[in-house]
Amino acid sequence: MPADPTHTGSRTTARQRIEARRAAEAAALAGAQRRRRTMIGGVAAAVAVLVVLVVVVVVQSQRTATSAQAGTPANTVADGTAVRIGQADAPVTVTVYEDFLCPACKSFEGTSGDTLAALVADGTAAVEYRPVAILDHYSTDAYSTRALNAAGVVADAAGPEAFLAFHDLLFAHQPTEGGAGLPDDELIALAVRTGATGAEIESGIRDLVYADWTRRVTDDASRNGLTGTPTILVDGDVLETRSPQGLEAAVRDAAAA
Amino acid sequence: MRTLPSTVWLWAATAARVLLGGVLVMAGALKIPDPAAAVRAVRAYRLLPETLVAPVAFGLPVLEIAVGLALLTGVFVRTAALASAVLLTVFIAGITTAWARGLQIDCGCFGDGGQVAAGQTAYPGEIARDAGLLLLALALTRWPRSRLALGGVSGDGRPCACSPAPPDRTDEEPTRAR
Repeated sequence: MPADPTHTGSRTTARQRIEARRAAEAAALAGAQRRRRTMIGGVAAAVAVLVVLVVVVVVQSQRTATSAQAGTPANTVADGTAVRIGQADAPVTVTVYEDFLCPACKSFEGTSGDTLAALVADGTAAVEYRPVAILDHYSTDAYSTRALNAAGVVADAAGPEAFLAFHDLLFAHQPTEGGAGLPDDELIALAVRTGATGAEIESGIRDLVYADWTRRVTDDASRNGLTGTPTILVDGDVLETRSPQGLEAAVRDAAAA
Repeated sequence: MRTLPSTVWLWAATAARVLLGGVLVMAGALKIPDPAAAVRAVRAYRLLPETLVAPVAFGLPVLEIAVGLALLTGVFVRTAALASAVLLTVFIAGITTAWARGLQIDCGCFGDGGQVAAGQTAYPGEIARDAGLLLLALALTRWPRSRLALGGVSGDGRPCACSPAPPDRTDEEPTRAR
């Protein structure tokens, strides 16, 4: 019989085999190309990330670098990082790290400020105020830095006692976190109330004349292990109980030691 | 013969990609504007020598954003998921040791500079959040295929189910065989 089903069947099978092999080859080729493209893409992406990484590290290093000649306010101690209040021969030193925007600092000043002032007044303790600016992103206008700069201006122009008065006024007028801080005009008005007056005060506050200094003292505090404000040290030991009683007890213990 | 994951799972993978990628991009982006705060946050862990603190503080956000963008767009999903799993493991380890050592710090995860008011630490919550994200990252490493992924190839080297795959000859009737 001319019509041979087995013959046709074997031809069909042969064709199908060839088709299948071609398809497999095409698929293998496509797969290889795809893998190659993925590899090239991966290498390119890795290189791009690496380049961006290096650029960002360099740029951020420059942004955080502070000039060696950064102006430091006068009337400061400890390499310009602190303002000291109290008698030179006071047996105990209380170190107070505060951010002018920090609510817990305002609370500490409200509850224990008078006790601290009394301890200074009777000569038991001297206080080293080490204000820092760590809460800039909790206000819309970098208030921590602006307030700290203004405090530096006041200390420089009018001395430690004026700084302390300004410090108290800043906490009394503390803005709430999350919004705008006190405007420069208001900072200037508060500075004037502490006896710091004149064109230099105004320009110093408006132009952030001690901006580099604010960064330096904040970085210095971080290197000293500061991770939160307020942090109170009594002769170098962290005060755990920041109540008036806790503060007084710690200072009396240190004085007796 | 491979069975396609059901549509639900592919969309679940997309959701995981968007969540994980979104958190990473946000965490990285929030650390860029205030580099000094990023340095303080890294230093607060007291794990790295001072010379490494700044490079890590400045470089980490770049890695977070890069990995996050890869996940969001759906390119190199498996690699990005694996990288984020590594990052999250490091973060969890860091927070755990800070907790164990009694440090009073914020994790600094979102540009917060690492400082926290005394007694205001949130270690359990921070670890739980990172552990949840780590699970997502591991799941995406195991099953990287998803919908709405830009990458033509999913992590397993096969065509991604979401992109128009080239006609697969082997699945069709041999049309020329006549």
